[in-house]
Amino acid sequence: MFSHARRLSWSGEKLEHQINLKGLTDPSIDLGVPGGRELVGLVDAFVTDGDQEGAREAVIDMLGFEAFVDSAAVFGNFEMMNRIAEGSGIPIPPQLVEREDQMMKTLGLYDILKSQQL
Amino acid sequence: MDTEKHDAWDLHCHINDASAAEYRSDMPEIRTDIGAVIGADFEIMAGPGAVLTGSERVAIAASARSGNPSDTLGVFASHLYQSPATVAADDVSRAARASGFPSVVETIGIVARLSAADRFCEVMGFDPKPLPDPTDDAPTGNVQNDLKKRRAHVPMPPGPIPVALDLVPSEGEALRAMFGPMYMTEDEMSDPHFRRTPGLDTPQLETIAARISLINECFY
Repeated sequence: MFSHARRLSWSGEKLEHQINLKGLTDPSIDLGVPGGRELVGLVDAFVTDGDQEGAREAVIDMLGFEAFVDSAAVFGNFEMMNRIAEGSGIPIPPQLVEREDQMMKTLGLYDILKSQQL
Repeated sequence: MDTEKHDAWDLHCHINDASAAEYRSDMPEIRTDIGAVIGADFEIMAGPGAVLTGSERVAIAASARSGNPSDTLGVFASHLYQSPATVAADDVSRAARASGFPSVVETIGIVARLSAADRFCEVMGFDPKPLPDPTDDAPTGNVQNDLKKRRAHVPMPPGPIPVALDLVPSEGEALRAMFGPMYMTEDEMSDPHFRRTPGLDTPQLETIAARISLINECFY
């Protein structure tokens, strides 16, 4: 979460998007990424067993079929990476957390950090 | 990026519900690098690891999917596959006491890459790719024995997640091989203007990555 929120913010700034990271924690808020609402909806539908067909159609309608395939691949990649992180217990450098204090608060990451005792 | 396209059947998957069948009539082209990397990874699964045989490796994958393990490594594999956010240091230690850290690292690699393939198929509406037939070759013995277990659950070199499995070099290499087709290559990651053509750009890719990690309570 932490590193990808940072990368989202960084790349969005370079592309002159108005990124609002709160859209990652609250899907009712506009993330500022083209198709972001549909992409978040796709993730939610499959991680929480929601309306999967509707979510697929929404991504395809908004972004096209190739983007949907990309989405499925990235979904798979990060299901993989989450298991690598949890299984290996890779630590986060404390100085990195300190530097991104505002983002940590915006995304509620201190709670996750605490609960996992990283 | 100009990618060759191919029929969905080359993924050795099957359309398993009506909604996905409707998509098939529109596409059925999926860029070949995804199917190729998943296919290659299943061959790696079937072959010998550093300490585990091909049969043991495929059995770990089967335990992960079924949720019905029969040994300590299988229990760990099933736990990591089904509920990764609840895996704790004690779970890893228990598996390592029974089987050794190299076996545990192989298990993490197998389960993690299996989940990439399975979730891809699930989102696409395909059946899971059938597990491969294992080979009989002997384990390689290639383990980086000089690595130390510091703050992490397993011995690993300093560095980011892509090197987390380098106690067993073949697992680290297999992990890194997945990135390009399933996310971005290292070069692409350094370019904020990257866009797969046609496909997603960096902010869109990172949106998916961040949201999955948040729901899975994966801090990193």
